[in-house]
Amino acid sequence: MSHFTLYTYVLSASCYKVRLMAALLGVPYDSVAVNFYPGFEHRSEAMLALNPWGTLPILRAGDLVLTETQAMLGWLATNHDPTGRWYPAADPALGPQVLQWLGLAARLTGSAGLARLHAILDWPVDGEAVRKAALKDLQELELLLTDRVLAGQTWLVGDHPTIADIACFPHAALSPDAGLEHDGFPAIRNWLYAVRSLPGFVTMPGIHELHELREREPADPQ
Amino acid sequence: MPSMPVGLSRDLPPKRVMRASVGGQDIVVWRASNGDIAAWDNRCPHRGMALSHGFVRGNALACLYHGWHYEQSGRCSYIPAHPDLDPPATIHTTRFGVTERDGVIWVDTTDTAKPGMLTEPLDPLRSLIAEVSEAAVEAACHSTPFEGEMPQPSGSGLYALGTIRLALLTNPLGPNRTQVTVLTSPGLSLQTRLALSRWCETLRRNAEATGTGGA
Repeated sequence: MSHFTLYTYVLSASCYKVRLMAALLGVPYDSVAVNFYPGFEHRSEAMLALNPWGTLPILRAGDLVLTETQAMLGWLATNHDPTGRWYPAADPALGPQVLQWLGLAARLTGSAGLARLHAILDWPVDGEAVRKAALKDLQELELLLTDRVLAGQTWLVGDHPTIADIACFPHAALSPDAGLEHDGFPAIRNWLYAVRSLPGFVTMPGIHELHELREREPADPQ
Repeated sequence: MPSMPVGLSRDLPPKRVMRASVGGQDIVVWRASNGDIAAWDNRCPHRGMALSHGFVRGNALACLYHGWHYEQSGRCSYIPAHPDLDPPATIHTTRFGVTERDGVIWVDTTDTAKPGMLTEPLDPLRSLIAEVSEAAVEAACHSTPFEGEMPQPSGSGLYALGTIRLALLTNPLGPNRTQVTVLTSPGLSLQTRLALSRWCETLRRNAEATGTGGA
C-alpha cells in the first residue's frame, strides 16, 4: 500500500534524500516524474498550484503537502519508524543536534547543490563563488565528522544513523560532480561509505551501490 | 622522490580503496580483506579506468569498468567476461613501494617506501589538504598559536606546543596544494585532540590567507 506521493526528478539530490529515507524505512510510495530540466515543469501553473515555491521534491500524503526536503525526512521518520531512532526528536540531547544538522544540510544545498547544478546543468549562478562556498562547507563537515571519528563514532548524531545523515549525505556524495573531489576528506569518505552500507540503500546517478557487499569470489561465478 | 605520507592507516580500513598523489603521480591505495596494503598507478591496464573507483573482493582489487581483478602482486587474477581464462602474467598493474609506520601510510614511486623517521612515538591526529604551497604551510605553523603557545620547531617537522609534541608531515600535491598529515603526543585527552583538530583548521586558514593561494 502506497503511503504518499512524491513529485520527483531523477538527477535531484534533494528528491533522492526522500527516496533514500523511504527505502531505508521500507515505506512504499507512488512517484510522479517531473521534467525539472529542460522542461522547468516544476514552475508550470499546475505544479505551482500544488507548490507555490516552485521547488522539488513535493510530498503529498492525503491533505498534507510538504515542500521542504528536511521536513519530509522528519515526516517519514515520525510516521514510519516505530523504533524512533531515525529521528529522536524528544531526546533533549540528540533532538536539537539533529535539527542543527538539518539546517546545515540546507546550507549544503545552497552551496554544494548549486555548484553541482552549475556544473551539470549550466545553472545561472556564479560557478566559482558557489564552488568556493561548497568547498568551505565540505571542510566544516570534514572537521565535525573528524570529531566523531576521534570520539569513536560513525554517525553525525548518537550511535545510530538519523535523518541528519540522510539530509547531508547526497550533496556531500555528489560534490565530485562539481569538481570537488573527496581526496582531502577521509572522514567524509568513510561516513559516505557507512551510509552506502545501510540495508535497503538505493542509488541515484552519481552514487552507485557498493559492489563489494555482494561478495562473489572468482571461483564461484554466478 | 623520497617516500611521502599519503594518509592515515586509520582512514583506510580493510576492503577499502582511496586515491593518493605523489610527485604528480596519480595513485590508488587499497587494503585487502587480510589487512595487506598496496599502492599502484591509478590506471587499469585494460582500459585505463581509475582503479580508485574500484572495489575490493576478498584480497583482490576489482576495476569498476569491466571487473578485472588484480591481486596484491598486481597480477590480473580474473576477467569476468572470460571466466575460464587464466589471465597471462603479462597483465599486471604498475606497483609502487608502500609501508605503514606511526599510523601513517608512506608511498614511494621510485623505490621501496621508507617511512620518515620520527624520533619519538606519536599518535595520528588527522590528514587534510591546504590550497597553498608546502612552504606556506610550514611558515603558518610557526605563527599559529595553540592555546596561547606559539609552536616551537625542534627539527624535521617536529614542534613543541607547550607540553604537547606535534609532527607536521607534508606532501606537496602541486605548487599551491599540499597534503598535511598531523601527529601528536600519544595519550592526549579527547578534548585536547578535538582542540588540536581545530588548530589544524586555523593553520590551514592562516596558510591560505598569507600563502600564494590566498593572494
